Amino acid sequence: MATTTARVSISSPDLMPGSALSINPPGVQLTKAGVTTGLTQMETGVRSIVTGTEYRLGPLATEMLSDAHDIASYLYLCNTTTEDTTYYIDWGIHETMIGKLYAGDWMFIPWNASDDTAEIEIEPQGGTNTIEYAFFNSDFILTTAA
Amino acid sequence: MATINATVTINSDISSYPISISKTMAMTKSANPSVGLDETTGLRTKKFTTTTAAVIVEHDELTDDKAHKVYIRNASTQRANFFYVAYNASAAAAGTAETIGKLYGGDWMLMPYDGNVNITVASSTATETQYLEYMVFADGIVAAKG
Repeated sequence: MATTTARVSISSPDLMPGSALSINPPGVQLTKAGVTTGLTQMETGVRSIVTGTEYRLGPLATEMLSDAHDIASYLYLCNTTTEDTTYYIDWGIHETMIGKLYAGDWMFIPWNASDDTAEIEIEPQGGTNTIEYAFFNSDFILTTAA
Repeated sequence: MATINATVTINSDISSYPISISKTMAMTKSANPSVGLDETTGLRTKKFTTTTAAVIVEHDELTDDKAHKVYIRNASTQRANFFYVAYNASAAAAGTAETIGKLYGGDWMLMPYDGNVNITVASSTATETQYLEYMVFADGIVAAKG
């Protein structure tokens, strides 16, 4: 069984004066939905994406096996743009944008692809942004050849 | 300004060639990416004993359309249980188009958040108590009106 572990550490010496912040929970092993069996598939990539267009990142629900409501997917996404620190990527679910991933920022989320209108969307702002990403899952399927 | 650093570490042997992701970001303001975030709603821990959805981040406490960051962790240990996490105007996390994902026991997430809509959660179980840890690193907090 494969093992995938994700850990986060957040620290600040001066955000809350007199009380240094240190969030450092135990790493978590990413598993299939509701069980202790490790995830078995992943998809990684690096892309340069031009501004002004919305892109789908990762598969649709129907491009994954099993009951899509019950899958456990995880996304790591980093904006590695170095040209301009004011560049960012709007990210969201379907047409609903949720946040701005600025140059140098990363994010890590669980993703529940309940249906094909719950896809992850990104839209670069400012100029051409470069991203690196990794999906962890157990249910990706390949598109049938024509 | 404050200095807040967040580091993600992901290790996986899903592939024959194990991957190791390690990335650190400094949380900065949208208007000036060289200036660190300096406000927070504080670290909170909440106990959930029902499946009733609840707002954990009220957007009207935050400045709209900014580079906030939200950290959420299911501090429970049961992988069978989870929280729906949603970007939602009303408290209905499950089965909506804006559901982001399922946060299973031990899972965590850190995402950029624009502050335009509430963040809501709903526990998957009413028979087992679950605990949620969360914190907003804010790019502007709106002072409460008297």
